[in-house]
Amino acid sequence: MPSKVSAPASGERRHRRSLAGHIERVLPRLVVAPSLGVALFFVYGYMLWTFLLSLTNSRMLPQYDFVGFAQYARLFANERWHVAATNLVVFGGLFIVSCLVIGLLLAIFLDQRIRQEGALRTIYLYPMALSLIVTGVVWRWLLNPGLGIQAMVRGWGFEDFTFNWLVDSDMAIYTLVIAAVWQASGFVMALFLAGLRSIDDSLFQAAALDGASLPRIYTRIVLPSLRPVVFSSVMILAHIAIKSFDLVMALTGGGPGYATDLPATFMYAHTFTRGQIGLGSASAIMMLCGVLAILVPYLYSELRGQRHG
Amino acid sequence: MNPTMTKKLLLTLLAWGIALIVFFPIFWMVLTGFKTEGEAVATPPSLFFEPTLAGYHEVMARADYLKFALNSIVISFGSTLLALIVAIPSAYSMAFLPTKRTRGTLLWMLSTKMLPPVGVLMPVYLLFRDMGLLDSQLGLTIVYMLMNLPIVVWMLYTFFKDIPKDILEAGRMDGAGTLQEVLYLLLPLTLPGIASTGLLSVILSWNEAFWSLNLTTSDAAPLTAFIASFSSPEGLFWAKLSAASTLAIAPILIFGWLTQKQMVRGLTFGAVK
Repeated sequence: MPSKVSAPASGERRHRRSLAGHIERVLPRLVVAPSLGVALFFVYGYMLWTFLLSLTNSRMLPQYDFVGFAQYARLFANERWHVAATNLVVFGGLFIVSCLVIGLLLAIFLDQRIRQEGALRTIYLYPMALSLIVTGVVWRWLLNPGLGIQAMVRGWGFEDFTFNWLVDSDMAIYTLVIAAVWQASGFVMALFLAGLRSIDDSLFQAAALDGASLPRIYTRIVLPSLRPVVFSSVMILAHIAIKSFDLVMALTGGGPGYATDLPATFMYAHTFTRGQIGLGSASAIMMLCGVLAILVPYLYSELRGQRHG
Repeated sequence: MNPTMTKKLLLTLLAWGIALIVFFPIFWMVLTGFKTEGEAVATPPSLFFEPTLAGYHEVMARADYLKFALNSIVISFGSTLLALIVAIPSAYSMAFLPTKRTRGTLLWMLSTKMLPPVGVLMPVYLLFRDMGLLDSQLGLTIVYMLMNLPIVVWMLYTFFKDIPKDILEAGRMDGAGTLQEVLYLLLPLTLPGIASTGLLSVILSWNEAFWSLNLTTSDAAPLTAFIASFSSPEGLFWAKLSAASTLAIAPILIFGWLTQKQMVRGLTFGAVK
C-alpha cells in the first residue's frame, strides 16, 4: 500500500535535477555509511589484525615474525582447548534449549489471563536487567555447598542432601547453565508471550469448534506461528552464550582447574596472563570460524524465507 | 467458590510462586547485604536477623561508591546518546528509503554482535594505549557506543518501519524538508520506541563488564568494576560483596520498576509493544 502512494512523489523528485535533488539521493547512503563502517571496521577489521597475529610467533608482545599455521597446530594439540570447545557446545546447547522450553511454558502459563500480569512479567524479566557479574556473585553464593542451597536443605533436616556441582569438575559446567538460564528464560518468556498474543483469536475458536484438543491446538497452530519468535530468541540467546565470558569469570573463574573454561576464557588466559598472544589469537579465529559456520547459514535462510513469505 | 474461580486462584498463586523463585536470588543478596559477616555465613542461613548497615559502611569506607556510580552514569548515558545520534539517520534511511542491499546491510551489522569481544580486545587495547584512551571515560563511552550500535540501529529500524509512509509524505506535501520531517513528525511519533531503545542501551552499558575490567583501572572504572574489586581478592566476605552488588544494581532495579513498560519493551528488543 504505502509504496503505491509514494510512487508519484518519488517520480517527481527524480525529475528535479538540482544539486539539492542530488544530495537528497546520495544522503541516505551517506548516513548509513558511518554505522556500517564502524561496525565492520572495528569488528572485522580488528579480526583481520587478530588473524595476522595468529600467524606469528607473538608471545608477551605482538611481533610480526610469521610462522604460518604453527599456532593452529599447537592449539589443536592443546588438551585445555578441547575442554573449552566441548564446554561451549554443551553449555550453549543446553542453555538455548532450556531457555526455549522454560520460556515457552511460562508464556503459555501467563497467557491464561492471570491478574497483575504486567507486574509478573516485569519480575520474570528482572534477571535479564542484571549484570552477568552480579548473577555470578549471587549464584556463587547459592551454589556454594557450605552456604547456599545445600546448607539450606540440610538445615531443614535432609542431612544427606548433596548439591555440590560448583566444586565438582564434572558437573561445574552445569552450574553455568543454571545461572544463565535463570537470567535469560524470563526474557524468552516475554518474547513468546508477545508472539502468542499476536495470534488471531478466531483461529483458536475455529480449531476448538472443529473439536481439536488443547495440546493439538498448541502443536499444530501455535508453535508453527511462533517460528519467527524462535528465530529471534535463538539469535539473541546465541549471542548471550558467546558473551558468557563475564559469567564464567564471576561464577567459577574457569575452575575447578580448567573444567569450565570456554573458548573466550581460554583465549583471554593465553593472550593476557600467560603471554601467548599467537596461540590466543589462533583460538579467537577458530571461535570466529565456528560462529560463522553455524550462524551465517541459519541467518541467511531465515531472512531469505522472510523476504519471500 | 465455583471451579473456574478456584482454577484462577490456583493459577495466580502458582504465578506468584514462580515469581518468588525467580526473584529469590536477588532478594537474598539484598538481605545478605544487611547482615554481619558472621550471620552471612551462618548455617542454616537465617531469614530473621537484626539488620545492620555495617556492610555498607565498610564498602563506602573502602571504595568511593559515588565516583564509580558517576562513571557508570556518564558512560552509559553518554554512549547511548552518541549511539542514538549516529543510529537515527541510519535507521531513517533504511526504513524509508530502502534499497536492495538494506537487508544485507542490517545482517552484516548484526553479525558483528555474534562475535566474541575477546577476539578484538587485543587490537582495541593497543590502539587505546597509543591514543591515551585507557582508563578514560571517553574511551569507554566510545567502546560502548560501538558495542551497542548494531542493536540500536536494528531496533530503531523496526520501530520506524511501523510508521506509515503516508504520514511523512503528507508532511512533505506541506513543504517539510527531510530535517523537519524527522524532527517534527518521525521523532515524536516514535518517541516511545526511541525511549525503549535508549533504555536498553543504557542497561547494556551499565551491566557491561568485559570492556570495563580490561580498559579501566581506577579513574574511569564503572560499577561493574566496583563489584569485581570486592569479588576477587576477598570473595569470602559475603555481606560486603552483597552490599556492593546491591548498590550497583539498585539504580537499575528501581529505574526499571518505574519505567516498566519501556523496560519490558527495551529488554525484549522491541518485541513487546
